[in-house]
Amino acid sequence: MEEVDKILILALKQVGTELSEEVGSVKDFTSELIVEAVVRCIRVIDPGLGSPLPTSLPPGMSARFRVGMSLAQACQDIGYKGEIGYQTFLYSSETEIRSLLMFLVEKLPRENAEASDQPTGKSAILQRAIAAAIKAQLVEPWLPPNCRLPLHGETQSLGVMHSFHKQPLSLPYCIKDPGKKSLKEVKDYQRDFLPPVTAQLAHNATVAASLLEQHTAELSVAQEWYNEWNSQGLLSRLTPQDYRARKLTRLRKRIEEQLRSAALPPTESAFGGLGATSDLSDILQSFRGSAASAHTLTKGSHFTHSQKFTFTQETEAVPSPARRTDDNHHSQQEELASLQQQFQQLCSDVDQLTTELKHLSVTNAQVLDEFKQRERQNNELEEKIQLKKKTVDLLPDAENNIVKLQALVEASAQRVVNLASQWEKHRAPLIDEHRRLKEICSNQDMESSKKLSEIKVLHDKIRVSTEEAKKKEEIHKQLVTELESLPKDVSRAAYTQRILEIVSNIKKQKEEITKILSDTKQLQKEINGLTGKLDRTFAVTDELVFKDAKKDESVRKSYKYLAALHENCNQLIQTIEDTGTILREIRDLEEQIDTENSNKTVANLEKILEDYKAIRQENSALAAKVREG
Amino acid sequence: MELSDSVQRGLRSLGDESVVDHATFPALVDVCFRSLLSAGRDAGLLEEPELKQVEGVLLKRIHAATTTFILEAVRQNADESTISSCLEDLSFSSERIEILYSCYQVTSTSFPHHCLQPAHITDVSWRLQYHVKNGVVDKVNEPFYLISLNTENKGSPEDITFTCTMEQLQDMVGKLKDAAKSAEKASQM
Repeated sequence: MEEVDKILILALKQVGTELSEEVGSVKDFTSELIVEAVVRCIRVIDPGLGSPLPTSLPPGMSARFRVGMSLAQACQDIGYKGEIGYQTFLYSSETEIRSLLMFLVEKLPRENAEASDQPTGKSAILQRAIAAAIKAQLVEPWLPPNCRLPLHGETQSLGVMHSFHKQPLSLPYCIKDPGKKSLKEVKDYQRDFLPPVTAQLAHNATVAASLLEQHTAELSVAQEWYNEWNSQGLLSRLTPQDYRARKLTRLRKRIEEQLRSAALPPTESAFGGLGATSDLSDILQSFRGSAASAHTLTKGSHFTHSQKFTFTQETEAVPSPARRTDDNHHSQQEELASLQQQFQQLCSDVDQLTTELKHLSVTNAQVLDEFKQRERQNNELEEKIQLKKKTVDLLPDAENNIVKLQALVEASAQRVVNLASQWEKHRAPLIDEHRRLKEICSNQDMESSKKLSEIKVLHDKIRVSTEEAKKKEEIHKQLVTELESLPKDVSRAAYTQRILEIVSNIKKQKEEITKILSDTKQLQKEINGLTGKLDRTFAVTDELVFKDAKKDESVRKSYKYLAALHENCNQLIQTIEDTGTILREIRDLEEQIDTENSNKTVANLEKILEDYKAIRQENSALAAKVREG
Repeated sequence: MELSDSVQRGLRSLGDESVVDHATFPALVDVCFRSLLSAGRDAGLLEEPELKQVEGVLLKRIHAATTTFILEAVRQNADESTISSCLEDLSFSSERIEILYSCYQVTSTSFPHHCLQPAHITDVSWRLQYHVKNGVVDKVNEPFYLISLNTENKGSPEDITFTCTMEQLQDMVGKLKDAAKSAEKASQM
């Protein structure tokens, strides 16, 4: 029971009851202490019920009686199921008080449960820290400037005000491509002229902001590259440099396409949109170099140039009337008009030249074609002539030549057949070789894709486990700080140990009890069997002896002895049983004596008598007062 | 604490005994801290004779990396275990970690605050005017408030005066109450 008492005392101390160090167990509680403890608990559990109740017993007996009744009522309202009345508080017994206090302490709201329910995430911690900081600042009182200590620097008087602006910094970084060497001039610049990072900006505060921003940008770029490489880069099976180069070219192409498509449609659009797109066409012009230099026309940009010039010619007439409405820009208008005239002329010149070029190139192509055709025809005719010449040479010796020619033809046919067979011989192994290499190639493809998927799985596992490790570390840190902030006076380990011991003890006792029960049953069965045997043997012997007793005198005597023996043994057994029952009763009565002793009945009776006398006195005094006044 | 590649490389060279030896290390650390606090705009900071041993471009890289590291540590309010574990990962010897950490502790509170604090209102004085008539209209009968807010800006008191009608004043008081409520709500998180 000591541990229970210790826990109760601890809980009561937490609620606010003043308990001196000598109070070791519930036995030592006085009535005042009991009342104070109970009232404080009730106040915590249910403030509405508890506020009218006083924490100490008033001196007058009737008042005490009333307080006891109200306390009992309050406890019953809270839900205590046991018997309770004013006597539990004024004339207390240990067991009743213990059960009442245990019930109340269990009902106390658990403050600790709330703290452990809070989510432990990074953002939750940050928000909680922010809330705590704001609360602290709200609670601080304002002090006039003369009373301020340097501690109050942040919240009372103002520090130096800075806003968080960043500006671009020029940092002496290593080059990204380890293969390329940076230019010597860049290195010299970095060594001799580039000021150190903190000296590059005007304000000290912006230095900090810019450095932090730069660092965060680098970190996020690295993170994004890592994510992209793991998701798409590995699939494409290129080296990082190739992947990056391919991405760059793709992006460039898309930008070019977008710009071109944005520049083209304005020929159909209404007036409103023309202003923006004519600017865009200006931008395009500046990209490709100025239009005035006709010599710089390259083959590739030929198309875009011609496009540009066609639509700028059409649109340039439209913006000019819109601009002429503005009177302030009159001189600018004139300049613009003259420049536009010049431009027009240049455009027309360029047009002419381009058309001429076109013509010339077309005629050039035509002539080349004709020339090629003629050459071909020439070659064919030459061949025909050669053939006819040879036949004419061979005509005089016609017959011999015909035979020779036939032999030649046959020989060449033979050779063809020979060569074909040789080719076949070579072809077969080469085809086999080709097939084999193809199979090896496809196998290697499959293996590499399998390995890629394994790598991906491993990456995912790595990522997941690093995240879990980080989370667990954070939780560990949080729990360590929470553990430090918890109160140190309750050692849960000792309690759990004792609880486990008690549980094992109870298990052992249960086993022993079952053993004893089975033993008892066994004994009872034996006793029953023996008594049955005894009765039967007695009946048999009785009959036997009685039969002979009629004839013989000694047998009659032995029969009488037998009956007497039976009687006495029965009596013995009876007395043994009675002794057993009496012993049991003695034990029960002793237990009852113990419980009654702990009730302190005598002391309580004396107290009750005294209080009764006190009440009678008060009553008579009050009656006397009433009579007087 | 996460650090980008360039910062890690710079810090590794700082911790490397072949690049920055024992005599140069405290001087370099000291220069980095000073440049963040007050002497930042002095471009000749890295021209000190003790730092001549380290080559020019490398010196500037180390300086940039160290200043970024210090700022990150201040921003995250890092304690000793975080900083020393970070530096150990970058193969710093323990004495160098100690030197760096002692400098950090000494100077960490004097970094400039990054907050925009408007003036602090300390007192209010008001005057109620009642317009009865004016030259154009015979009966006006409107109350006007003249409010003067005594504020404190960087230790020196200033006054902000303005006039407003009753509705505008009610509006302002309502907004102040809303602000107070949302501050309370934020502290209840």
